[in-house]
Amino acid sequence: MKNRLKLLRVERNWTQEQLGQALGVSRQAVNALETEKHDPSLDLAYRIAALFARPVEEVFENPHG
Amino acid sequence: MLTMGKQSNTPAGRRYVVRTMAFMGGYVAVMLATIGGAFDAIQGKPAAWVLALVVSAPIAGQIWATLSFMRDSDEYVRAVTAKQFIVAAGVAMTLFSAWGFGESFAGAPHAEGWLIYPLFWAVFGCVAPMLRSSN
Repeated sequence: MKNRLKLLRVERNWTQEQLGQALGVSRQAVNALETEKHDPSLDLAYRIAALFARPVEEVFENPHG
Repeated sequence: MLTMGKQSNTPAGRRYVVRTMAFMGGYVAVMLATIGGAFDAIQGKPAAWVLALVVSAPIAGQIWATLSFMRDSDEYVRAVTAKQFIVAAGVAMTLFSAWGFGESFAGAPHAEGWLIYPLFWAVFGCVAPMLRSSN
């Protein structure tokens, strides 16, 4: 799933490890999300959106819309 | 395995490594003792079934350790580990079944049934690096 996760992370000068800790997931999970090798669950997508204080649609591209 | 290996710095990963070493250590120890003749006296007797179950028990333990690792990991690691496990099991079962039919139909040499377990992990080691996506 296309997303702006890497852009949002780099804007804040966070490492994948730091973002993973903030989200409660592994660095590998962050990397997989950024490289579109993992589609997040609804729960994780909302957690990410809340962390960056943005609507989910601004972080993840709606593949159906 | 690679996903699990890369997680060895997490609590779930460390628990998995410790449990794997314990179960596999027990498995190898009993196997070596058996090969070394430690249980020759009970070969062919009902007590040998106890030995068979003892050797096999660490396999069930290893499956439990893997399931525990998945339960305690994040959704990406859980999904990729499940995918790796299913693909490895499928390939191992296919190969071993093909060999079994080869024995039945083509006179292939007999392969002991317990070989399925080391075969599974050998296949797992080969396919895991290629399966890095949960999609």
